[in-house]
Amino acid sequence: MRSNLRYLLPVLLGGLLAAPALAVDAQALLAASDAVRNPDKPFGLTTTLVEYRNGKQTDTSTLAVYSRADANSGQFRSLLRFVAPARDADKLMLKSGNDLWFYDPASKATIRISPQQRLLGQAANGDVVTVNLAGDYSASVAAEEDVSDGDKQQRHTYRLELKAKTPDVTYHRIEMWIDAANKQPVKARFYAESGSLLKTAYYRRYQSQLGTNRPTETVIIDGLDPNWVTVMRFSGYAWRDVPESWLQRDFLPRFKPQ
Amino acid sequence: MKHPGPWLLVALGALLPAAAMADDDAALQLADRTADRVEAARDWRFLAELAGADAQYRFNDQPAEARLSLDGRIDRRFHDDWRFVLADRLDLRSSGGHQTSINTLKEAYLGWQPDTDLLFDLGRINTRYGAGFGYNPTDFFKVGALRSVTSVNPASLRENRLGSVMLRGQTLWDGGSLTAMYSPKLADTPSDDAFSLDLGASNPQDRWLLTLSQSLCASGCDNLNPQWLLYHDSDTTQLGLNWSVLLGDATIVYVEWAGGRQPSVAGRVAGVDDSAFRNAVATGLSWTAATKLTLTLEYQYDGAALDDAGWSALRTGPVGPYLGYRQRAAQRQDLTTRHAAMLYAQWQDALIPRVDLSGFVRQDLIDDSRLSWLETRWRGDSTDIALQWQYDAGDARSNYGGLPQRQIWQALLTHYF
Repeated sequence: MRSNLRYLLPVLLGGLLAAPALAVDAQALLAASDAVRNPDKPFGLTTTLVEYRNGKQTDTSTLAVYSRADANSGQFRSLLRFVAPARDADKLMLKSGNDLWFYDPASKATIRISPQQRLLGQAANGDVVTVNLAGDYSASVAAEEDVSDGDKQQRHTYRLELKAKTPDVTYHRIEMWIDAANKQPVKARFYAESGSLLKTAYYRRYQSQLGTNRPTETVIIDGLDPNWVTVMRFSGYAWRDVPESWLQRDFLPRFKPQ
Repeated sequence: MKHPGPWLLVALGALLPAAAMADDDAALQLADRTADRVEAARDWRFLAELAGADAQYRFNDQPAEARLSLDGRIDRRFHDDWRFVLADRLDLRSSGGHQTSINTLKEAYLGWQPDTDLLFDLGRINTRYGAGFGYNPTDFFKVGALRSVTSVNPASLRENRLGSVMLRGQTLWDGGSLTAMYSPKLADTPSDDAFSLDLGASNPQDRWLLTLSQSLCASGCDNLNPQWLLYHDSDTTQLGLNWSVLLGDATIVYVEWAGGRQPSVAGRVAGVDDSAFRNAVATGLSWTAATKLTLTLEYQYDGAALDDAGWSALRTGPVGPYLGYRQRAAQRQDLTTRHAAMLYAQWQDALIPRVDLSGFVRQDLIDDSRLSWLETRWRGDSTDIALQWQYDAGDARSNYGGLPQRQIWQALLTHYF
């Protein structure tokens, strides 16, 4: 009996210690953190991107984003209007999963672009924000960790391991740290199929917006070149009427935001 | 050399995350220092472009040309449901002491959206369709739309063109749309007057167009979302199709088709009704590499243009019909001969950030002549500087060998206000 206990005790203790992690529904936690970043009704916001290379500001652009979740997939579909720089003003992009349409009011051309082509611009980073990860990834809890967040505060987090459900996503694997107490995303690392780190994102400057505390800034660090940093600021949160019928190619030439 | 000891590996393993954390800290400090500044959306955009062009001609040399272009657009909403759009461009040219100017009133229309899914527009509207890159059979309103050509780049040809006066209505539903437009005849002949509205070019006959699109699969999938068009004017009724499909995450395959009974270009020039069912197609593939290079390869077919035998006969015949045919094909923005191919390359941030390289080759598959165009462009915060080179190669009176210029250099300075 004693010898049995000697073997059983660590197992029991291990089970007790592991219990909090096992009790966590990783997928539900991921969905909750998605809801922190993205409102549950159609909304609009303004995104300002500032790009740095080697510590120097090299580019800046502003986008007005109008977004709504698809009733079936839960995935966000967005109309993006370029506000600045002046060269790109009033150009539009319709993003619905991997389907992307680009419209230039000067040339009247509505052209389809591939996700790879979209990645050329800074606006590519917009997808780190308005995207519901729970729809495209299977989550599991990898660890419980205390980490320093983007505002240099210690947070007790769950580190989730996200694996792409389908091969047609941009990031094949994501590590995501989510605050154990309030489900706020703290930071994430995005990986390519090859395993190389594509980008690191810090979600910070939490403020009350559209009914809950949301990150109003995301700092993105390029995986290959850590001296390439993009700061994304979100402002002008508002509930917007974004009818489903507007989220199609043939509406782009007619879209005139409020 | 001895293998590194386990302690060295442990030390390296500890250093790497530490380095990553240092990178992250440095990035967060940059973010801390970033000023809170949000650009407000504007109702207008305006650009001024200064250009100098020098060409090498095949026959009579011409002096170099300087050009100043002013291009503006106002798009203003008022009373919630109403919208006013005005777009105009003025090209001022000077060459050998001779000045010319051409104003193009691209758009001027009033829009009314009485309901979320119902829109009407009235006025001069630049409406354009087509999945193709260098040739658009379904861009039915392209005929006569070019009033002042500043570059052979397809993007430039699209931007600098005349809209047509029309009434347009559109109704939308989830995943689909129907657009109808009617453009009446307002004048008989085009005008070269500098500030003419040029209704003879934009509205030379009664025309109407219906456009229908309907996604054929669940929302979030545009691969089965073709766009159908039905066009009519006094010479022809044509059906059109635009369809783009995404393959993987870096490739777009597209097809654009138009077909219907219509006269050939040669028939139009000769005033002969040789109407028959003729097809026109542009189909291609666009692929983007991780290195920010996008390549587009397109095949172009125009059943209304001359075939090998017809083109050979025209080239070797009298110069009058040859020039008349070319002029009509250019005015219609049709192909000169029946088959063509185009390769377009665009390389963003080529070698140096903010410097883009782009270029294309148009190959005439009937007479083997070729147009090559290259551009290098530096993108400043609100100013672009670009250098363009064009070379037209081919036998005498071939599609591109028959162009008056053999080579053109153009430098541009564009400021966006």
